[in-house]
Amino acid sequence: MAQATDQKLEQLQKQVDELEQEVKVAERKQELAEEAAAAKAKTEATVTADTGGFTIRSPGGNYLLKIGADLQLDNRTYLGTGAGSDIDTLVARRVRPTFSGTIYKYIDFMFRPDFGQGTTAIYDAYAQLNYLPWANLRVGKFKPPVGLERLQSDDDTSFVERGLPSDLGPQRDIGYQLSADLFHKRANYAVGVFNGVPDASIGTDTAVSDHRDYSARIFLTPFLPEQGPLSGVGIGLGASGGNTDGEALPSFKTFGQEAFFTFASGVTAAGHRTRLDPQAYYYLGPFGLLAEYALNEEGFQKSGVRREIAFRAYQAEVSYILTGEKKSFASPTPRRSFDPLHGGWGAVELAARVGDWEAEKGIYNYGLASDATSPRHLHEWVGGVNWYWNRLFKVAADYGKTDFGGGAANGNKLPERVILLRFQINFI
Amino acid sequence: MKTTTIRNCVAAALLAGPALFAGTVKLLNVSYDPTRELYQDINAAFARQWKAKTGVDVEISQSHGGSGKQARSVIDGLQADVVTLGLAYDIDSIAEHARLLPANWQTRLADNSTPYTSTIVFLVRHGNPKHIKDWDDLVRPGVSVIAPNPKSSGGARWAYLAAWGYALKKNNGDDRKAQEFVTRLYKNVPVLDSGARGSTTTFAQRGIGDVLLGWENEAFLALNELGKDKVEVVTPSISILAEPPVAVVDKIAAKHGTAQVARAYLEFLYTPEGQEIGARHYYRPRSPEVAAKYASRFAKVQLFTIDELFGGWQKAQKRHFDDGGVFDQIYLQGR
Repeated sequence: MAQATDQKLEQLQKQVDELEQEVKVAERKQELAEEAAAAKAKTEATVTADTGGFTIRSPGGNYLLKIGADLQLDNRTYLGTGAGSDIDTLVARRVRPTFSGTIYKYIDFMFRPDFGQGTTAIYDAYAQLNYLPWANLRVGKFKPPVGLERLQSDDDTSFVERGLPSDLGPQRDIGYQLSADLFHKRANYAVGVFNGVPDASIGTDTAVSDHRDYSARIFLTPFLPEQGPLSGVGIGLGASGGNTDGEALPSFKTFGQEAFFTFASGVTAAGHRTRLDPQAYYYLGPFGLLAEYALNEEGFQKSGVRREIAFRAYQAEVSYILTGEKKSFASPTPRRSFDPLHGGWGAVELAARVGDWEAEKGIYNYGLASDATSPRHLHEWVGGVNWYWNRLFKVAADYGKTDFGGGAANGNKLPERVILLRFQINFI
Repeated sequence: MKTTTIRNCVAAALLAGPALFAGTVKLLNVSYDPTRELYQDINAAFARQWKAKTGVDVEISQSHGGSGKQARSVIDGLQADVVTLGLAYDIDSIAEHARLLPANWQTRLADNSTPYTSTIVFLVRHGNPKHIKDWDDLVRPGVSVIAPNPKSSGGARWAYLAAWGYALKKNNGDDRKAQEFVTRLYKNVPVLDSGARGSTTTFAQRGIGDVLLGWENEAFLALNELGKDKVEVVTPSISILAEPPVAVVDKIAAKHGTAQVARAYLEFLYTPEGQEIGARHYYRPRSPEVAAKYASRFAKVQLFTIDELFGGWQKAQKRHFDDGGVFDQIYLQGR
């Protein structure tokens, strides 16, 4: 009897031992799987998808590819019969897939075509060597360092369309640029050499003469990085100098995107072009102020005679985020994303802008344009509301009125009154 | 004659120069799993010797892991000045795929660039409750064998081939029976670690399995750490002569300006002091004098070589360990 009990106990002990081994083996396998996963994470690329786009990153981050998109669908409604081509329309304003990233640790790149408005064009295609912190070298097609609002991302502007000073600066150009933040980001400089493009143009991707445009910009944020009432002050000056020989004539547009100025027949771009662009912003909590002045002198030729014409434009805009988010040069991130069922309504911003554009009177006197068809003076004001649902999606509604000086046979062209409604996805 | 001397001096200066001017010479030794303790002692001894000889400080970093994995790391860019791996095939891989050293690297140092040898033994629980005496005991039902993965571990490949060799010899060279034997053996392996040190952890720390199949030096290290009241070393009747080789990674050492000190470091392994350190860590010395001095540490065992039974590493690797090879077949079959 005792022997049988001993045998039974021995058998039970054996079973317990075997079970214990099985548990230990299972635990060890789990441990090894976790170790293998951790080792894999150190040596294999990671793929993420979040509000910053789709990202593939090598271990250590020396290689990175981000894929994003920038989509803007606009509804333009013209009120009255003032503007020339005042056809109400829905337009895919910007349709831009974006590929950006890093190679060999120090080289960033960006490639961004645009398929909006029925055209295909490359807007950004550049590489930037970030080896020296005080001199980052950028090569390719990008925004030359002149205008403040032009350098602001299309998705971050407070209004659906930029102000009148942006009509007088280059939009994109091909060239080289050295730039950097200095003195703990208190100063930023950029100097570059470019092919040269007409005002508000992205050019033809090739030079049309041997001349080059030289651009430079200095921008100071002297109260950074300390946080205080003045930390949002930024002030700077952008400038460019070059030659317009062989270039297309510039095309100037209203807030409603109407090309309002037509040069006289036989006029060509020729001679020097100088751009000066003093600029500033100020941000404090939900409040923002941005001001910019543009002064250009550009050469034109008609019937073998060259003339230099001065253009001036300014804008001043104020904005305030009603929901209290911090206003800055970039779009705000809503404290609570749009999710009404759970009490989230996103961020709401009000903004207003006043602006002016003028060509010197000589443009008529020298026969470069006719006061019966081309106004030489514009004055605009714009009011708008921006509704940021989350970091990616924004709805903007702006009303803009532009008054013209000249441009009609019997005096002034009728004002343009337009409502622009934008739906924007910015997945970058 | 003079010209030759000057040329040699210039060459030596060029080789050693960048490192010497740097103040402290830094070397990275990429090694296999169980050599951590061995190279800690070797490094300290060599640094002392090098300082006394040249006046230059040398700082040697170590990297350890499964031999195959370590070779892959060097191929992928790990900046090893020297490699001290578990088997020649892994250094051949570096020569072949990354071309960081010549194909004939094994001829550059004595004994095929293998300053010490080892073999495969068994580590069992105290009292040897499963009565494991020889290879046949490992394939008995109910015996749980702990061994690392031959796909990533050099020691595991030696162990696999040791088992195969035993079965071949026992069955008069019958390859089919050898494969059956090894299949049964791996059927008894519940966990495959990536390296020898991981398997020791599985067996000793986690308490899994009845027997650990692995390097002789690793078994004795575990015995010393755990105590004779916990584990015992069992030496089988026959095993394989494991020859873990060493080599300077020429291109990386040249880039770092460490070629001269790297070579001296490996040559130090052949010196009486280097051989004694190896023997103290249970690596079988090449030097007859040191081997005689430490004879009592190493059980007498009949050893066969990889050339003898498998035609060398290239053939063995291709047949047994490459993807889709015999090991893949038998391990999947055994699951």
